[in-house]
Amino acid sequence: MSRFLNFDTLSLHAGQVVDPEFGARATPIYQTTSYVFPDTDTASSIFNLERGGHAYSRITNPTVGVLEQRIAALEGGSAAVCTASGMAATFCAITAILGQGDHIVASTQMYGGNISLMKNTLPRFGITTTFVDPTDTDGFRAAIQDNTKLIYGELIGNPGLDILDLEAIARIGADSQVPVMIDATFNTPYLCRCFDYGANVTVHSVTKWMGGHGTAIGGAVVDGGNFDWGATDKFPTITEPYAPFSGINLWEEFGPSAFATRIRAEAMRDIGPSMSPMNAFLLLQGIETLSLRMDKHLSNTMILLDYLSSHEQVSWVNHPSLPAHSSHELAKKYLPKGAGSIISFGVKGGRAAGKAFIENVELASHLANVGDAKTLVIHPATTTHSRIDADALVAAGITEDMVRLSVGLEDVADIKADFENGFRAAKRISKG
Amino acid sequence: MYFAVNGKQVFATTGGKPFDSSKPVVIFLHGSGFDHTVWNLQSRFFAFRDYAVLALDLPGHTNSEGPPLQSIEAMADWLNDVVETVDAQNISLVAHSQGCLIALEYASRYPERLRSVSFIASGLATPVNEFLLNAAENDPEAAIAMMLGWGFGPAGQMHQGPIPGNSMLSAGRKVMRGNAPKSLAADLHACNDYQNGKPAAANVAGSVQVIVAGKDRMAPRQATNELIEHLHGPNVNLIPESGHLVPQEVPDQCRALLKAFIFSNNPTT
Repeated sequence: MSRFLNFDTLSLHAGQVVDPEFGARATPIYQTTSYVFPDTDTASSIFNLERGGHAYSRITNPTVGVLEQRIAALEGGSAAVCTASGMAATFCAITAILGQGDHIVASTQMYGGNISLMKNTLPRFGITTTFVDPTDTDGFRAAIQDNTKLIYGELIGNPGLDILDLEAIARIGADSQVPVMIDATFNTPYLCRCFDYGANVTVHSVTKWMGGHGTAIGGAVVDGGNFDWGATDKFPTITEPYAPFSGINLWEEFGPSAFATRIRAEAMRDIGPSMSPMNAFLLLQGIETLSLRMDKHLSNTMILLDYLSSHEQVSWVNHPSLPAHSSHELAKKYLPKGAGSIISFGVKGGRAAGKAFIENVELASHLANVGDAKTLVIHPATTTHSRIDADALVAAGITEDMVRLSVGLEDVADIKADFENGFRAAKRISKG
Repeated sequence: MYFAVNGKQVFATTGGKPFDSSKPVVIFLHGSGFDHTVWNLQSRFFAFRDYAVLALDLPGHTNSEGPPLQSIEAMADWLNDVVETVDAQNISLVAHSQGCLIALEYASRYPERLRSVSFIASGLATPVNEFLLNAAENDPEAAIAMMLGWGFGPAGQMHQGPIPGNSMLSAGRKVMRGNAPKSLAADLHACNDYQNGKPAAANVAGSVQVIVAGKDRMAPRQATNELIEHLHGPNVNLIPESGHLVPQEVPDQCRALLKAFIFSNNPTT
């Protein structure tokens, strides 16, 4: 019986053809805008999608291409398109199939950028969204309308860390002939390959755990290749002739890669949110160690969950690995290696104590990012959500004492020692 | 495009141009469990160079109505029905793997409209091992793993590919997952049962091309050599680094070889 290459091997090798001229072992950085055509026939073939190849780096680039094929391989997708950021990936993926008059059903518990895109920006283009509590699976079915063309959610929701019941949501999508798109940033394909549970498209901020070092912004759209676009007339951008490429029918010509090809042919060409080759190189370096880093993120997370859960200055701890979390059973099903390395917890003493904790840790970095190799903390009530009153914070799932922690790869004893400084300061505030 | 053959819907991509039977025709035949998309880096090329193109889905595959046909002979008869339905003349047949057996049988029995035949990665016969036959019937996912594991060479296994961002291995798996439950076992049994290769090859007249993959683990070199021996003066081309899935793994070399052969033997002017 034959078998395929495994995750760690693909993380190191997938997509790369060793440089034939100099034998460079690392993926070269092709820092070029454009490519010399050997003849006019080859040039016209590339422009007409008769053959693969590179014409202009806004649309494709060899370094970015290696990253795309590596991500597609790790996800089990038929194709990937990398973009300048995760939000660019989300926008490109949505607008590849939705336009004026179309509708999305999306989770309420998502990254603020995703919420804002659907709540504020997409309506300007005639695309509306009904938001549904991610734990209310039946609510997703009930929210489907005749003009619904997408179900969207995060497997590990932000900020509550609720886990989407992906198989159930995918069944709703299949029953309704609506694709299911998952923001898989928090899980990465190492923790869960969403296509195995019926998702049709994933989007990533590869800035986070995939890259893992906080050095490059980037995004990716991965085509699961498992949605039958031709089974309905809802998706003309995939199944009808596309004029700019001589009326090509992407579904007929590219089958399981038709969705990704649409993004390449339209969004990357007409909008141009392309990833730089340098960023692709940096992100490839990160992905080479994805599983090693994730294992360490997860082991540190489990130790810190124990530490925080028993700490006298901590009022509550939230993580799907904890039995008390409402998504604990779903986490065991979809994320058996671990439910990610974001922890939220409450510091006794409220807003002032939370602020004091943040201001008195030194090893942990106070910033608005997650998924770095380094431990990161932020106090939403005094930063990202500082202009929101207490009631509105509760509605957003954020409490005044809440600290969001992105667990890094440091020696966990040093993280705990650093946190002790923060907790001592918080205790002084709460007593004072 | 869709058209009816014997009361069943048949799908073929025409490469992005309307099918015009007055032009020289290139018909592409896929292998077991696959579909027309295996040819997407060849079919569009010929369509935009004044050929009428049909990259077919065999019955019971992807967009063509089932049931799947049970023998290579029946598939050759079906191909003749397709040709008559679309009124194709001056045909260049391009076939991969199982498609080659169909092409062999068709060319021996229906030579009138043929101008050339290109066999890619095939032998004179295609015996299928018992494990794969059993898996195709009882565990399609295992059968797909075997076929893609053997079918793709090193580049495919590394998810490399000529289209930036695309994984030909994963895309192939998606196509096969769609087709395997309904047609893979029938395809493989048809290949395994086909015994008419030698007399059929002896009957094939006209221009014939054989493209051999140097790292083919599904069509053993000995079987390919037998095909070459029994054909009359074939044009033989070796692509050393390719695995079995030549049209996807090395599309540029494959297309260049097809272009030279078909342009010469079935010109558009």
